[in-house]
Amino acid sequence: MLARRIIACLDVRDGRVVKGTKFLDLRDAGDPLACAQRYVDGGVDEIVVLDVSATLEERIASLRTIAAVAEAVDVPVTVGGGVRGVEDFARLLDAGADKVAVNSAAVADPELLSRAARRFGNQCVVLSIDARRVAGGYECYTHAGTRAAPRDAIAWAREAQQLGAGEILLTSIDRDGTRGGFDLELIAACARAVSAPLVASGGARDAGSFADALLAGADAALGASVFHDADCTIAEVKRCCAAANLAMRT
Amino acid sequence: MKPRVTIVALGAANRRSLAYALARAGADVRFADEPREIAACDALVIPGVANVGYLADAMDRRALRAPILEAIAAGRPCLGICAGFQLFFEGSEEAPQVRGLGVFRGTVRRLNGPKSPHMGWNRVERDGEAPWAYFAHTYAPPAGVPDASAITRYGEAFASAGERGNLRGVQFHPERSGRYGATLLQRFVALASNGDAG
Repeated sequence: MLARRIIACLDVRDGRVVKGTKFLDLRDAGDPLACAQRYVDGGVDEIVVLDVSATLEERIASLRTIAAVAEAVDVPVTVGGGVRGVEDFARLLDAGADKVAVNSAAVADPELLSRAARRFGNQCVVLSIDARRVAGGYECYTHAGTRAAPRDAIAWAREAQQLGAGEILLTSIDRDGTRGGFDLELIAACARAVSAPLVASGGARDAGSFADALLAGADAALGASVFHDADCTIAEVKRCCAAANLAMRT
Repeated sequence: MKPRVTIVALGAANRRSLAYALARAGADVRFADEPREIAACDALVIPGVANVGYLADAMDRRALRAPILEAIAAGRPCLGICAGFQLFFEGSEEAPQVRGLGVFRGTVRRLNGPKSPHMGWNRVERDGEAPWAYFAHTYAPPAGVPDASAITRYGEAFASAGERGNLRGVQFHPERSGRYGATLLQRFVALASNGDAG
């Protein structure tokens, strides 16, 4: 049986792990390699590395940080940040990534998802959606949460899957870094709309909050500050999810 | 001397991720995209993370089909991963116009699972054991193909590994499958070193 996944996210800037709240007020949260190794030793199922300033600085994600993490760990590594075209997928894979996440460039040019899928297969193409709650739904944001895109997040997830996205990484900006719990309505709405795997992100609070996100329909749940600050361990999260009858890799 | 393992570089793969894992397993890793490099290899790996149609076209564009088939026919250890495994079959529904290497009999089909792609950790059932491995794929060889050596269940059973002599294929990603994946790559590297000696 396919296990649900618990994912640790490393938001990186200038070679360090950083973490903010609602994408703002970034603070230092450690060394990427040390964090990654600690989470893998703890049983994490996947590592996501997001270079949070790459798009704003109009450059690709830090290849050196990615390579250091990818070389050390034996679980999948998804990388995002500053992807502008298909060749950037190749560059990130050549640095050690297994999957590539894209947000801003796909919003500007949705066909990018199709071109990437034709070459790397859709299982390599992760659409990252940063969603903020608005009256009547959720709106997409690009450029690290600084620009609103006139797109409904759920409709965009559906369209992106049809174009070639093989996974949706759905982050609630409202919950990011708040420890307010995942946005379960957002997760459930997206899970109903797409048949591609769904990664829930934003708001992780404690072990139970991960189980809530998975029970709401996510295939994987992602935490950042909750792990960086050792509020709970991966093992605690997995025990709690298993107790809720969610399949976990042990 | 470390056993040499050659990764076929076809322009679409997580080849660096794989190279790191093979190095951790004790191999001297190199990349190759020239026919003479393939002809001279001791052991070959065809990595995944690609559309199988793209992979087959890239292989033919670089005239690598014949040297790969010769390496397999000569009994040199060859490992296909994910789309690389799928390339070993006669064809695939992902790219019906494309001819596979045909060294494993059967056609790769679209997997009929609850979600698509099949993404994450699942169990590889083989010889009464069921270790966890990491999968990321939409297509898979059916469970009943003649050279299947392990199965995995996702909506339906499919062949998650195949084996005949020194020819190996896995639908999952051993480079990202924790301890089980590492063990599997160590065994392949050991196979490569035996080839050296023989």
